[in-house]
Amino acid sequence: MLQWLADLQPALLGAVLLWAASVKLFARSARQAARRSALVRLVGKDRVFLAYRAVGCAELAIGALLVLPPVHPAEAVAAVGLGLGMLGYLLYARIAAPDSSCGCLGDKHVPVRFRALARAGVLVLAGAAATGATDWWPLAVTRNPLAAAAVLLAEGALIVVLSPELDHRWLHPLRRLRLRISHPLAGRPVEVPLAASVQQLHGSAAYRSVAGLLRSDLLDTWDEGDWRLLTYSARPESGPATAVFAVPRHGYHPDDVRVVLIAEEEVPVPA
Amino acid sequence: MDALGRRRFLTRAVLGTTATVAGASVLGALAPEALADPVPDVEAGAPDPNFAEGRVTGVKGSMLTATGSDGVLHLIQLTAATSIWKLRPTTLDAAQVGDGLYARGVRMPDGVLAADAVWLNIVNLTVHISAISKDTLHLDHHGDKIVGHVVSGTTAAVYNGTPAVSDLSLLKVGQHAQVIGAWRPDTNEVDIATVFAAA
Repeated sequence: MLQWLADLQPALLGAVLLWAASVKLFARSARQAARRSALVRLVGKDRVFLAYRAVGCAELAIGALLVLPPVHPAEAVAAVGLGLGMLGYLLYARIAAPDSSCGCLGDKHVPVRFRALARAGVLVLAGAAATGATDWWPLAVTRNPLAAAAVLLAEGALIVVLSPELDHRWLHPLRRLRLRISHPLAGRPVEVPLAASVQQLHGSAAYRSVAGLLRSDLLDTWDEGDWRLLTYSARPESGPATAVFAVPRHGYHPDDVRVVLIAEEEVPVPA
Repeated sequence: MDALGRRRFLTRAVLGTTATVAGASVLGALAPEALADPVPDVEAGAPDPNFAEGRVTGVKGSMLTATGSDGVLHLIQLTAATSIWKLRPTTLDAAQVGDGLYARGVRMPDGVLAADAVWLNIVNLTVHISAISKDTLHLDHHGDKIVGHVVSGTTAAVYNGTPAVSDLSLLKVGQHAQVIGAWRPDTNEVDIATVFAAA
């Protein structure tokens, strides 16, 4: 059983490495992905693409050796080395350049977080298991095709789940589907938000006529029948004043917005 | 006069007129050039004396003290004519120690900033919406997770630049959005004022 599992691991490792290599070598946005990766900090801006490609070549070579016969423990040891190197690189990125992306399995910009580290760990473990492989993996698959498919699918799914750069391929579509069935924010009470009244105010001649005198942002607001009232403090030459606007609460009629400027001394004070 | 009485008076004043532009009688004899702000006397690159930012370290009466991110101590005087924003227009009572602060006003000779407008905890974020649940938008801000709380009666959405609406059901997962909101100090959570998105 354990031997059979070990025989399967080169298939998983090879697939992941070939996929990683294809992103680095053949993706159209590879140059961009290289520039956003933490490699920039390690080798500098001028050589980053070269280094990125070199990593891709190493992944391609080791991945091909793993999936092709003959089986040799050195292949798995090389994969473990690559995995440990990746783990070190990710830890370095996490500490030295937390905002740069991993650039590992996709060209999406995703900073290094727990998932990327866990994925590298899983690959190291799979590599360690693969050092015990003796038979070429297709032989292990033919010995028990269903179980082999289940194991490889489960491991592949684990790698995908631990790859934040692939979220937009499966997680977001799933969540979008969920929203299409029922949107959690649907069915909330319909109101005219304050932001809509402020937008309408800004589009009105009334606002333009006094805009240069306004000193404050929105001071106070309240509703009165079909009107929403908004006040701002203003400072015309005559002294401190309040600009009061009445904006139609329903519909968009900026031409109907009313304005009055009231000097502070005109506002009755408590007796 | 209490706040309600003042509101009643101002309501009568504005609804009593039919003016849709403030006429010369309201503004007084005012040449257009008098409207323009005087050119600020600030050297290029020097801090604007009429602006302050930082974290509130004290609230005493109508005076706020704040420490700027550059370590400068600001004294900020608020009056009844100062607008205070904290998710929505509010009053001085809402200011708390620890709030993030932006203030604009006029620097007095004694160094106190007489504030015209104060914004507490205001943030402007460009994000991706990574998940939507009841009353919450889960946001990805350049790789960092931010929880955006939907506040009933306040949170509004602007789709494709059209007038703001309270309907948030057109927001989609994976979508790019801009969020104006109020940060909950020392957390990764914001209360959303307005979310701008495509629909």
